[in-house]
Amino acid sequence: MKARTNLIIVLVGALLLAFVPFVASDVMMQFAINALILAVLAQSWNIIGGFTGYVSFGNSVFYGLGIYGTAIAMAQFHLPFGVGLVLGLVLAQICALVIGVPILRLRGPYFAIATLGLSAAMGALIANIDIAGSNIGLILPLVRADPMFYWLALVLLLACTLTVVWISHSRFGAGLVAIREDEDAAATMGVNTTLYKVIALMLSAAFTSVAGGIYAYWISFIDPASSFDPTLNVRMVIMAVFGGPGTVLGPLVGSFILSAVYEVLSSWISTAAALLFGIVIVLAVIFTPRGIADVIVGMRKSGLRYLTQNIRENRL
Amino acid sequence: MLLIQILANGVLLGGLYGLMALGMALVWGVLNVVNLAHGALIMLGGYVVYYLFTGFGIDPFLALPIAAVVMFVIGYLLQRFILNLIVRSAMLNTLLITFGLNVVITYLAQLLFSADFRTINPSYAGTNYNVFGITVPLVSLAAFVIAFALAGAVWFVLNRLSLGRAIRATAQNLTAARLYGVDPRGIYAVTFGIGAALAGVSGGLFGVLTHLTPYVGAALTAKSFVIAIIGGLSNPFNVILGGIVVGIAEQLASLYLGPTYIDVISFGLLVVILIVRPARSLRAA
Repeated sequence: MKARTNLIIVLVGALLLAFVPFVASDVMMQFAINALILAVLAQSWNIIGGFTGYVSFGNSVFYGLGIYGTAIAMAQFHLPFGVGLVLGLVLAQICALVIGVPILRLRGPYFAIATLGLSAAMGALIANIDIAGSNIGLILPLVRADPMFYWLALVLLLACTLTVVWISHSRFGAGLVAIREDEDAAATMGVNTTLYKVIALMLSAAFTSVAGGIYAYWISFIDPASSFDPTLNVRMVIMAVFGGPGTVLGPLVGSFILSAVYEVLSSWISTAAALLFGIVIVLAVIFTPRGIADVIVGMRKSGLRYLTQNIRENRL
Repeated sequence: MLLIQILANGVLLGGLYGLMALGMALVWGVLNVVNLAHGALIMLGGYVVYYLFTGFGIDPFLALPIAAVVMFVIGYLLQRFILNLIVRSAMLNTLLITFGLNVVITYLAQLLFSADFRTINPSYAGTNYNVFGITVPLVSLAAFVIAFALAGAVWFVLNRLSLGRAIRATAQNLTAARLYGVDPRGIYAVTFGIGAALAGVSGGLFGVLTHLTPYVGAALTAKSFVIAIIGGLSNPFNVILGGIVVGIAEQLASLYLGPTYIDVISFGLLVVILIVRPARSLRAA
């Protein structure tokens, strides 16, 4: 898609979404804020996972650092929210830089597993630090201002998506895609792969950590288990991949659809919601292995045959 | 003395860890699928043994072969009718579908078995031996012996039977194996079935040594991951050794740093090993 088309869709969408707090009920607002934060996570994962091809299962490290940066600043030092966000952002950037340089040398599944290990280790480490509230967690000052959190999350999502629009049409983004397609060839063609990969990871970490900060202040009680939740990693990957990784709109569509599906399922049959969510994931991978974005193109070309084509291509 | 006791505990526990990872390493090496539902299969095997013991009064150690057969059938069907459909697609998709299966199995287990803690508790569960002043629990020792015996069995199947040759051939070159008359669909399903059976046995032992809930799967998947990486995918005994390394590291960490550091150590170890020896090939030879 042309840069201008994407830009128009994104800006119009953001403008429409900005009016939601005036019409939505309290319950709807809870859902909407959650969905926006998850969309930020999916979109920032898209930078490192979708464009660069490095499947990170460790983005919850940055999310957790954003949460804890904000929480420590506000609960322990009584600093304002903005300072907390910056602290979380700085922590996540340092972490992405220090960890990124050695870990981005790993490729394929090894990178995925190392990042998964990191997120587990980081959660356990935070649970042993006193200033971070150890195992018990921290309580932030309580505010009831859902519209404010909604607009903050929306602005963050817009900033993240505009960054992705820029990436998808810039020299930098072309470098990332070259790394995804063939890293050795990219290096031969003069792409500074280490620099590009680390910058991609730091960009991804930046948006993820600010999302964590907003979440921390909104939810106002945090603990290591929920902040460094390993299933969150997998959820952001699924949302981005379900929508179409490496595209601008795919992760947004994927995360909104899956958030809605989960919400409907859990209000409809609360006990079996997670079960059905799992079934949705399995069916989605079988029938639409390249994401919703590809389904739209494929269905236009070959109709319902598209679904069986996918299976025929990937089955043994 | 305390140190030696801790080391002994680590070795005994590590044998079981190795057995948990063995099924995952086998599936990974042959199918190139990192099975995120592996821990859920371990959990399921544990419940099979639990219900055979509490429902039918079958001794847990006699129930292990039954659990292995049940889990083999489940694993075979999962691979034959679900995973075979996407096995040639990108690695990411196999990760996602096995994660989806993990969610499905976990919440099915919650619906069927309830979320209560379950322990498989035979009359001899508290029996200990005293060897040179070191306490050796009977069930831990039995788990350790079974882990080694099964590693030997896997080695025998892979290296001495024609089924094993077919499995190794499929792992090395799918097309060539097909040309020589191997049916890869069947081989993939059998391999996944063996992996699930090994998971089932380790789950039964896990249930005897600790306790089961429907949610133990994720942590066990992660642990199996770490061990499969440390041990490599080519030799079953190396996987058991990898399990022992992790078992000892965990026990030492809980002695010197406190039990809350166990996860920091085992995952820290994983990251360090990956970074220090990144070029190492994991595919089975």
